[in-house]
Amino acid sequence: MAVKITIRDLEQEIIDLESRLQHARKRLALASASPSTPLPLHSDMDQDLTPAKALSSSAAHALLLLSDSALPLGSFAYSSGLESYLAHNKPLPRTVTPVASFHRFLKLSIASMASTSIPYVLAAYRSPGDLETLDNDMDASTPCIVAQRASLAQGRALIGVWERAFRVTYAAGTALTPPASAAVMAIAEFSHALKSCADTEDELGPKGHLAPLWGVVCLAMGMDARQTAYVFMVNHAKAVLSAAVRASVMGPYQAQSVLASQRLQDMITERIEREWDTPVEDAGQIVPPLDLWVGRHELLYSRIFNS
Amino acid sequence: MPIKSPFESSIAKPGEGKVVLSLLPPSNPTLTTLTYKYPLKLLTRTPGFVPKSSALTCPSQPVHLYLLTYGGGLLPGDKINVSITLEPRTRMVVTTPQGSTKIFKTEPNASVKGQRGTPKPLLSDKSSQTLNVHVGQEAALCYLPDPAVPYQDSRYEQVQTFTVEGSTSSNDNPRRSSLCILDWVTQGRASRGEAWDFHLWRGKNEVWTTTEESGKRKLLLRDSLILDRELDEAQLERGDPELLKHTNVIRERTHPHGVVGTLILYGPVFERLATFFMDRFTSLPRIGARNWSSSPAVASGSAATEPTPNFDAQVTFTAARVRAGFVLVKFGAPDFAAAKDWLGAILRDEGSVYAEFGEEALFCL
Repeated sequence: MAVKITIRDLEQEIIDLESRLQHARKRLALASASPSTPLPLHSDMDQDLTPAKALSSSAAHALLLLSDSALPLGSFAYSSGLESYLAHNKPLPRTVTPVASFHRFLKLSIASMASTSIPYVLAAYRSPGDLETLDNDMDASTPCIVAQRASLAQGRALIGVWERAFRVTYAAGTALTPPASAAVMAIAEFSHALKSCADTEDELGPKGHLAPLWGVVCLAMGMDARQTAYVFMVNHAKAVLSAAVRASVMGPYQAQSVLASQRLQDMITERIEREWDTPVEDAGQIVPPLDLWVGRHELLYSRIFNS
Repeated sequence: MPIKSPFESSIAKPGEGKVVLSLLPPSNPTLTTLTYKYPLKLLTRTPGFVPKSSALTCPSQPVHLYLLTYGGGLLPGDKINVSITLEPRTRMVVTTPQGSTKIFKTEPNASVKGQRGTPKPLLSDKSSQTLNVHVGQEAALCYLPDPAVPYQDSRYEQVQTFTVEGSTSSNDNPRRSSLCILDWVTQGRASRGEAWDFHLWRGKNEVWTTTEESGKRKLLLRDSLILDRELDEAQLERGDPELLKHTNVIRERTHPHGVVGTLILYGPVFERLATFFMDRFTSLPRIGARNWSSSPAVASGSAATEPTPNFDAQVTFTAARVRAGFVLVKFGAPDFAAAKDWLGAILRDEGSVYAEFGEEALFCL
């Protein structure tokens, strides 16, 4: 029940923030000619929102930082099962082109990522105080060590980036909203627990999975819930596409065009919509073979990715 | 008020069942509670099998529990809720002697008409099964059932919760509980051409423990599979059945498998089996390595070293030692028979299920 109330409160705030962000998005779309950051376009962009200019620009700035492919999370080292998928589906039947096969994978991967991770991203965003429990539950729910490694490495890198780079600006900000300061606290506590546990080798201690940490860091940086989920998914899509380029499935321009496509946007939006109210207890795998592909990545004779 | 009948079930709700297995001194497994209500039926039997060699010192006799439902399956709206308690040092084998758990779908228009006033003509009622097992210290559960077979258009949800003891302090605590849980689902009645044509199948297996210090429950493992056609009422009303048949997201997401499943292994009794699975997985031939061989028939070449080559070639599996000493085996196979043969062969080959619980524990395989 407590969670529900918080959600409602936060959603009120989200509506408020979202309207301010419309403006930011509009300016962003104009300012950024790069197709690498597709943003959800809303039809009602013509509202006058000048009073909240300061806040909206700071949220937009955070958005740009977190969606940057140069964000040092090491996401490029992981193909989320693509490499293994390609190896398992070799040779392709004559009727299926490599690109068509990749599109199938991308669709499955996005659906699966959303169903397993988005509930955790949003739950952490909505109640940052539960970060440690969410991290434990995420760890318990990740059935495959390859995926676990990928999630941990990126989650810990995110803590690192937060502590070494973002915290200075975002935690010390003067206009820190109550949820944002709760998030800052939650990250600090979690990071402390993570460090003190590193010595004791407690196997069931805090781990640092990406999804819940992503939610909390985005909250601390003043992003709204939709954006948090959307950027999380776009980053996943980017990582998979970047892996596809390096696995020579497609060229860089083709990858960018997939990334920019309306189809991908719709796919992500639809998946987020579907998982919007999913409690973490009901998060789960919807693409069972993906667990097999990711888990069997270790069996590949040659590998260029970590997952 | 007449004297209360001693035979009257203490459980009021249909489909509920409760089992408590205790170990009376010196080493006598006894069911201190066994109640159930229609449509659920529970039968038990102690086959008199005594484990001769065991991972534990002085193992007790395993008691068999048969999960039965009238008609051998679940109708829409059926809710099964079983709670099992294994007291310390007891052992239980749970099987489904009726074969696969069929998830039926009836024509909702005919059956629910006007009854509850629910205007839900297209999506059938969900049937569900809840299993709660508390496994005490040094107790062991061997749960190797037949797979669930969800029929076309059926909707089903299952939550299996296991609580273990003695797990948090250290992973090699010899007193911790042991678990072997198999959960698998098939594409439906393949012989009738069904291929993942149900509407919803949701299976969740959770293992919890209570931390000694705070007494708080902690989730050790959650394995959750959701196969959802993602249909809503409006879509069903609009769409013609042929079109719906072609856009089957479950089929798309499970391709190329006709059965998928998970095996969860935990605790000292199954440690050897868990290691066996891990070794088998890590010694699988490398994928892509076959390109280096001169002949295209590498599958048969590597088969020379494998004791049961055909099963491994058909079944795609992965085994991982996740946290708290759990070994999680996930597999996908083209059909039920392939998965059954593969799993049965491995479990018989390794032999600890047989040695600890007797041949009957492998009844469904």
